[in-house]
Amino acid sequence: MATAAPPAPTKIRGVQPLRAGVGHSFFWRRLHSLSGIVPIGAFLIEHIVSNYETMNGPLAYAQQVKFLNALPLVRVLEWGLIFIPLAFHALYGVFIAFRGRVNVDVYPWAGNYAYVMQRVTGLIAFAYIIQHIWRQRFAGVSLPENPAMAFHKVQVELANPWMLAIYVIAMIATTWHFAYGIWLFAAKWGITPGDRARRRSGYVCTAFGAALCVMGLLSIYAVAFKPEYRNAPIPNMSSQPAGVVEPAPTSVTPGTTNPTQPGEVR
Amino acid sequence: MASRTIQVEIKRQSTPDHSSVTEKFEVPYRPNMNITSLLGEIALNPTTVDGKATTPITYDSNCLEEICGSCAMLINGKARMACSALVDKLEQPIKLAPLSKFPVVRDLAVDRSVLFENLKKVKAWVPIDGTYDLGSGPRQFPQLQEELYPLSNCISCTICMEVCPQFNDATGFVGAATIAQVKLFNDNPTGRVLKEERLRALAGDGGIQECGYAQNCVAACPKQLPLTEAISDVGRDVVIQQVKDFFVR
Repeated sequence: MATAAPPAPTKIRGVQPLRAGVGHSFFWRRLHSLSGIVPIGAFLIEHIVSNYETMNGPLAYAQQVKFLNALPLVRVLEWGLIFIPLAFHALYGVFIAFRGRVNVDVYPWAGNYAYVMQRVTGLIAFAYIIQHIWRQRFAGVSLPENPAMAFHKVQVELANPWMLAIYVIAMIATTWHFAYGIWLFAAKWGITPGDRARRRSGYVCTAFGAALCVMGLLSIYAVAFKPEYRNAPIPNMSSQPAGVVEPAPTSVTPGTTNPTQPGEVR
Repeated sequence: MASRTIQVEIKRQSTPDHSSVTEKFEVPYRPNMNITSLLGEIALNPTTVDGKATTPITYDSNCLEEICGSCAMLINGKARMACSALVDKLEQPIKLAPLSKFPVVRDLAVDRSVLFENLKKVKAWVPIDGTYDLGSGPRQFPQLQEELYPLSNCISCTICMEVCPQFNDATGFVGAATIAQVKLFNDNPTGRVLKEERLRALAGDGGIQECGYAQNCVAACPKQLPLTEAISDVGRDVVIQQVKDFFVR
């Protein structure tokens, strides 16, 4: 008796079915989602709050920069909590963005526009952050060593009207991306499953994103336009003198330039 | 009284591998037509507007009352059910095309077996097969029934997948319909026994993580399934299952 040959496995045309139990994209995709909130989102809040010190002038801003750079293990924090997660989030985000098939022309609905905007703002932020890190962190005067120069360095940057426009656009795009990212996080991780919960979370994220954006734009205003800080001199910040040994001298040494730091002699 | 007509343009394709052509038809106007009756009218007299004799339009249909899920197609560019799309409410010429993300079988009929494969992958059923009478199932409270009933309305029309920007060749996303069925059967007192397997399946490549939350699915669904809510709930369950598996498995 002839046995019928088993049917050859036919390759399905079109979109392939779910690959159950295959691959690690769930882990990477969820890590991407989480990394946008912590640590990158947390850093963005810190960054905008710190920048808001520009409203109080070059000295206040310089002190904030000095404080941040005086954090313990600051370079480890910088690479481990900012640069590496940010690079992952950015590169994996570009990968995600170019795998979507935008159809907002056919289905012009609010959520669909937000989906496209999340990708557009992400790409804007990506391009901006590359130049921002290069020009403000690594090129030019090094702010970790010279925090007093912080205000001036940004002021010189924003004196270029094109750069000013880029900063304003990037500030709006980045805060939008973050605020909608929080909303998406809550929706995708099952924190806000219900329609009403998602609408309420939308209001909260909108208010939060708008507040961040306004703070950021005010910082740009303070550096670029606030009249009292135009051509502001570089603040005089005494650095910790080399060669200070314990116990620190308690009496003011003759010839000191800074009586509040008795050890310093120039 | 001048005889009114309905202008129709249909993207046709004779075999899966043929290139597509657009044929134009002119159908005598009757009030209260839907796309189904329009296609039936063309089948009565399959002649294009140029007088060329052609074949009737092939498309999937069964119930003709938006309950079987067969007749999804692109109507004026948007994914809709032919049976519930009313001609009087459509802009003319009415443009009909097959769903764009599924391989065309012929004319407006497409191969949507990917949804069936996905439902099999997540075991979207209640396992009750046995060699003896298992007796009556566990009691379901009305509150649970009310929560699950909307999810049981899915007609597998694949419109949620067609309108999804993430459902494409690059991602191989499973689509909202399958995720909603996972919630339905995970919350079923008997179907719950396969919950962990379903959640693990949805964490595979093309799984729930590919959702970009554009929310087109829930806006386009002809049966108003709470799809985004299901994706949110199941998304949480999949994360919890993955974390649990990581530590205890």
